[in-house]
Amino acid sequence: MKLKTFFVAVAALLLAGSLTAQTMTRYEAQPGSKMKIEGTSTVHDWTVESGIIGGSVEVDAAFPAEPAVKAVPGKVNARIQTTLPVRSLKSGKKAMDDVMHEAMNMTAHPKIEYRLTEMVLKEPANGPVLNFETKGELILAGATNTISMPVTVDRSEKGKLKFSGTTSVKMTSFGLKPPAPSVGLGLIRTGDDVKLTFEWKTALPAKTP
Amino acid sequence: MNPQESSDFNRRDFLKGTSLAALMAAMGGVPLRAEDAKPAADAPKKASSPPVSCAVIGCGLRGREILNTLAVMPNAPVVAVCDHYAPFLNRAKTAAPKAEGYGDYKKLLANQAVQAVLIATPTHQHREITEAALQAGKHVYLEAPLAHSLDDARAIARAAQAALKSNFQAGLQMRSDPQRHFLLQFIRSGAAGKAVSARAQWHKKESWRRAAPSPEREQELNWRLSSATSNGLIAEVGLHQLDVLGWFLKARPVAVTGFGGVLHWSDGRDVPDTIQAVFEFPGGTLLSYDATLANSFDADYEMIYGTDSAVMIRANKAWMFKEVDSPLLGWEVYARKDEFYKETGIALVANATKIVAQGDKPVEDAPYANTSLSYALEAFISNTYVVLSGVEDFVASFNPNDTAALKEYLAGLAKSKLPAAGWPEGYEATVIAIKANEAILKKQRITFEKEWFQV
Repeated sequence: MKLKTFFVAVAALLLAGSLTAQTMTRYEAQPGSKMKIEGTSTVHDWTVESGIIGGSVEVDAAFPAEPAVKAVPGKVNARIQTTLPVRSLKSGKKAMDDVMHEAMNMTAHPKIEYRLTEMVLKEPANGPVLNFETKGELILAGATNTISMPVTVDRSEKGKLKFSGTTSVKMTSFGLKPPAPSVGLGLIRTGDDVKLTFEWKTALPAKTP
Repeated sequence: MNPQESSDFNRRDFLKGTSLAALMAAMGGVPLRAEDAKPAADAPKKASSPPVSCAVIGCGLRGREILNTLAVMPNAPVVAVCDHYAPFLNRAKTAAPKAEGYGDYKKLLANQAVQAVLIATPTHQHREITEAALQAGKHVYLEAPLAHSLDDARAIARAAQAALKSNFQAGLQMRSDPQRHFLLQFIRSGAAGKAVSARAQWHKKESWRRAAPSPEREQELNWRLSSATSNGLIAEVGLHQLDVLGWFLKARPVAVTGFGGVLHWSDGRDVPDTIQAVFEFPGGTLLSYDATLANSFDADYEMIYGTDSAVMIRANKAWMFKEVDSPLLGWEVYARKDEFYKETGIALVANATKIVAQGDKPVEDAPYANTSLSYALEAFISNTYVVLSGVEDFVASFNPNDTAALKEYLAGLAKSKLPAAGWPEGYEATVIAIKANEAILKKQRITFEKEWFQV
C-alpha cells in the first residue's frame, strides 16, 4: 500500500498547506501610527518622528489576536514586515531634517524596513495587553542588523492590534556616521546611540463593497 | 592715541562681532533668526528640497519675473509655460528654454509632467485657471490679489481649502521673507511700544499704460486701467503693504474710508491714479495708505508708530526711530545708524552684527540679499514637496481613501513647512483690498462685515 500511503501523505500536505493559507489572518497598517527616534548631541537632545509605518502582520488561528483566544506562553506564528519612508521622519526644523536625511543616506536608501523573525509570548494574557519578546531584522541605510526587543500587543479594540515597543541601536552598527553638521560653529556632534520608540496600529482590512 | 578712544573702539568692535544671540538676549528675549538665516545670494545655491516640476501660466512682466526667479533655483525646473499671446510666450521660452509652450492653459494642465503651476495672469482671470488647476491635482502658487471680485476670491479660497492633496500658496511674498519675520517678532514683542498708528505709501511716476501693436491687445494688456478688470492701486500694489501692516498689528481692520481719482493720467482710464485710504483697526489704531502714479517722491515704505518708537520698513531694510523718553533697549547704542534729515534711524537688521563663520568680519549691513519673491518661491517648492511626498507616503502605506486620516497626517506636517501665505491670508488680504477700492471709488466709509471674511 505504498502508493496509498503516498497519496494520503500528499493529500495531508495539501490540506495542511491550504489550512495554513486559510488560517493566516492579515492585519494591515493603519494611519495614526508613530515612530519616534531620539538621540543626543553636544548641543541638545533631538527627536524625529514619523506618522507612517506601512506594512502588515499575518498571524495564524492560534495567535491570541482576541482576548477569547487562549494565550499560551511560547513561540507564536506571526509574520510581520513594515516599512517607513526616511523622508517622513521629521523634527519640525527643516535644517535638521536635511542633515538627518543626508546622514541616513536617504537618496540611496529611501526606506527603513523591519522583518520579524521570531516572536515569543512571555506570559499568559492579563487583560488586553500581551507581552512578547521579538527578534527581527532592521534594515537601515542598506545595512541589516538583527535586533531583539520586547513588544506589547494591545487587543482592546476588536479587529485591531496595536504594537508598541522601544529599543536602542547604534548608528555606527548600520554603517552610519553620527552627523556633525557644519552649522553653528561646527561644534555640534550627535551621539551614536539612538532610541527607537514605535506605536504601530494595524487592523483587519476594511470590507470594500 | 587717546586710551579711552581705543578702548571704546575695541568694545564696539567686539560687540559688532559678538553673536546676535547675545545682543538679542540684551534686547529682552526677542527671538532671533540668526541661526537659520539664509546664505547670502552669492553663496552656492543648495536645494531646499527635491525638485518639483513647475509651469508658469501668464507670461507678462510678473510671469517672467517668476520665471527668472525659478531659473536660478536648483529645484524648480520649469517644464511648461503658457500664454495665449504668442510674443509673450516666445519671450517666456527664452527665459525657460526647456519648457514646452502652450497657448491654452487647459492643455498645459493636462500635461502630467507638470506638478505645480504658478499663475500670473491678469487678476480677473485667476478663478477659472485656479479652479481648473486644483481640479487637475496641481499645486498652485497664485499671485495676489487672488481675484477681482469677492465671489471669485471666495470660490478660489474654497477650491484651495477643498484640494486636500494640493499645496496652495497665495502670492503675498512678504509672508515668506525672513526680514519681515524678524521685524514681526520685534514689533509684536512690544519693542516699539504700543502701536498707535501706521502708514504706508507707494509713489511712482509712471502711467501704468503699456503699448501694444493692436487696439484689442492694447485693451487686454492694460487690464489694470479698467475698473471692470482691476481694483487699482490698492489691490495690485497696496495689498502687499496692507497685509504686512495688518499682520504686524495682529488685527483686521474694522472699517475703511477712501478717496481717489484720475488726477494726472487722463487717458480714458477709470481706475484712479492717485488714492488715499484710512483703515480703522480695533482699539482705534489708524492706518493710512496713499499711492499715486503721478509723483515718485519718497517711493514706497511702511511705517508703524509706537509709543516708544517708530519703525520704518523700506524693502529689505528697516529702521527704528526712538522717542527720547523710551526705555533703553541696550543694543541700539552699538547698532548702525542712518541720518534721515533731522532724525536718526537705528538699523533693524537681525544679522547686521553676525560673525561670518568664526572670523571677525561682520557681514554686510543688508543680509537679506534675496528678493521676497525668491523666498516665497523657495517656500512654495519646499512646501509643495512636503505635501506631495506626504501624500505619496500615506497612500503607499495606508488606505488611500481614508481622507480624514490623510488630512490629519498632512496637518501634522505643517511644522515642516517654510513660512508662506496660504489661502486664508490670501483671501483676507483680497477682501480688504476689494472693499477698500470700493470705498475709494465711492469716496465712502465702509464697515467690514464679518460675513465677507467667511469662506
